[in-house]
Amino acid sequence: MKRLTLALLALFLVKGAAFAAIDWESKGMQLAGEVIANPAGFFYDFQQDLEGTTPLPPGKRYGVQMGLFPTLLPMTYTNVSAKVRLHGEGRIAPGVPQLDLIGGYWDMLAAKMATKDSQSVDSAKFGGYYVGALLSASVSPRVRTFWGYKHSQLKARLDFKAGQEPELLGTKVNSFDTGFKDDFFIAGIETPKGVGSLWSIQLNYGLGTQTISSKVSWYGKYFELGLNIYPEGVLVVHPVWNCHLNF
Amino acid sequence: MKRTILSALITAGLAGRLCAAVAEDSKIFTPFFDMTLSEAAFLPSDGNIFSGGDINTQVGLLAKVAEKDHIFGLYNFNYVGQGFAPQDSRQFTDRSLSHNFNLEYRRIITDRIRVRPGVSANWEYRRTGANEVWKNGLYNMNSFGGQLAADYTFSEEQRGYVTAQYLFRSVKFPNYTDLLTEFQNPSPANSANVNGGLEDQTMGQFSVRPGWKQFFGGLTYTVQNYTNQKVVTETGVYGAKKQRDTDTALDFGFHQTLGIFELAPVVSYTMHSSNQNFMLYKSLGDTSPQFGAKYYDFSELAFGVPLDLNITSKWAVGGAVNFTRRAYSKRMARDADNNFTAAEQVNTMTTLTGSLRKRINEVAMVRLFASFLVARSNNKFEKYLPYSYTGNSFGLAYQLSY
Repeated sequence: MKRLTLALLALFLVKGAAFAAIDWESKGMQLAGEVIANPAGFFYDFQQDLEGTTPLPPGKRYGVQMGLFPTLLPMTYTNVSAKVRLHGEGRIAPGVPQLDLIGGYWDMLAAKMATKDSQSVDSAKFGGYYVGALLSASVSPRVRTFWGYKHSQLKARLDFKAGQEPELLGTKVNSFDTGFKDDFFIAGIETPKGVGSLWSIQLNYGLGTQTISSKVSWYGKYFELGLNIYPEGVLVVHPVWNCHLNF
Repeated sequence: MKRTILSALITAGLAGRLCAAVAEDSKIFTPFFDMTLSEAAFLPSDGNIFSGGDINTQVGLLAKVAEKDHIFGLYNFNYVGQGFAPQDSRQFTDRSLSHNFNLEYRRIITDRIRVRPGVSANWEYRRTGANEVWKNGLYNMNSFGGQLAADYTFSEEQRGYVTAQYLFRSVKFPNYTDLLTEFQNPSPANSANVNGGLEDQTMGQFSVRPGWKQFFGGLTYTVQNYTNQKVVTETGVYGAKKQRDTDTALDFGFHQTLGIFELAPVVSYTMHSSNQNFMLYKSLGDTSPQFGAKYYDFSELAFGVPLDLNITSKWAVGGAVNFTRRAYSKRMARDADNNFTAAEQVNTMTTLTGSLRKRINEVAMVRLFASFLVARSNNKFEKYLPYSYTGNSFGLAYQLSY
């Protein structure tokens, strides 16, 4: 991993001259435009960062997870997720995969604080949840595949106080209400890297909105480091840091 | 359309590859999974930096219902994001998403001959920006059809085989309309012009693909008959004749390992012919448009030489050179003022790639890559799309397969 990072850094340095030609200002404006065109999609990318869509490691029955970066900080998504194993692999009958139930809830702290201190915002609600199930089965002693389904929902609503509504292009804006809801199909594999640590890759596909995302993660005993890729998202690559407790 | 041919070639290639890839063992069910994802940043000489990714996921299951009867089902999900593209193919910002289902019945006739009839369904969506809705894409395409393939193994020790395949597809473009006709006449005689279906076609393809030891090759002949699209005549109106395109492609390659070197060069030659012409209007009220007869005929030579150096069992350094040259036989290059010149248009694209590959375990592999691309053309009209430019790209790719 260290060698890969150094190699990537070396490549960036070699390409350093190319960076001089980038128009960062217009790139920033383009990204801002993409957020405005689909704000729910932008906020949902961060919800995907905190969603725990990997199965419980073999031998664990329960798990609790919290997303730290970029969810808790800097986006102030206070969140908690849980996983429960209904039955382990091969416990009911040989060949029957492990079944885990997953779910979680988050709420944006900054929105609540903005309502308290603001003179123009009447109420604000930014939050979401997800529920799902994962089936996992070993294909070889070192490789386990997992398949699953999750339902995700996000609501982002901002109401302005009467008389304090802001104006956007000559129109008074009373409230801002957007949301995201979709059912996802999950598929991935995981492989152990050492005692208590795994490496996994998964693909999530939203059936209704056709949202695609891919997650690569290094899952340790208490922390998880990940790289989430949203090809159609605003910030295409999200480095992710989560913490969890499985028992 | 080129896109349809590409999809059909991928399907044909998939079926061929999978017949060799899946191990014949004693289990009744054998699963197959292959996922490749790459994400890269692109920096063109003219334009701002952008990023794009590609995802290709294949999930299959081979079921041995009897000694000589097998059934193979395959689902393929393919996402192609923004990226550099050959001239006259698509815009950099175009992205597409497709779902393909393939079901094949394999019958072993003798220990040397096998036949494989199958059916296939494909749904493809295209859009040019993340703010567009996938299902409203102008070039969205659905295709259904079947295929019949036969494999003959003439030498097991030398891995000598030949595969002949005929495939048939009914292709529909439900959203594609003639935008100019829609604007001029909302309810014309040919309703396919405004209600979608203008590019609907039936496609037939015959291919023969032999292999011997580490060598492989093939000859592919494709015919596309358009159901609604008519040929535009010299007078600027659509005539009575329907559009018909044909493609003849030859390819050859080999895979060789010499010590720590791994080489897999491939060369291909394609001849595309169409009876469609083109009217060049320089502006909306142009009263003297220029006529381009047989505008879409071209011959294209492409070769790629990837080379990997396996330093250890986990690490490999790789490089590749890819070259494509498309020469139009009747299409004249345009000058900077959008007028046809006297020289036929020729486009070339050369790409140099360097990569570092790490094998993580028996199923997964990660690759870091950087490319340099040079595109050149004698077409100087670049108001809407670039023809001559250079580009840099760098990114990350990973692959899982078992």
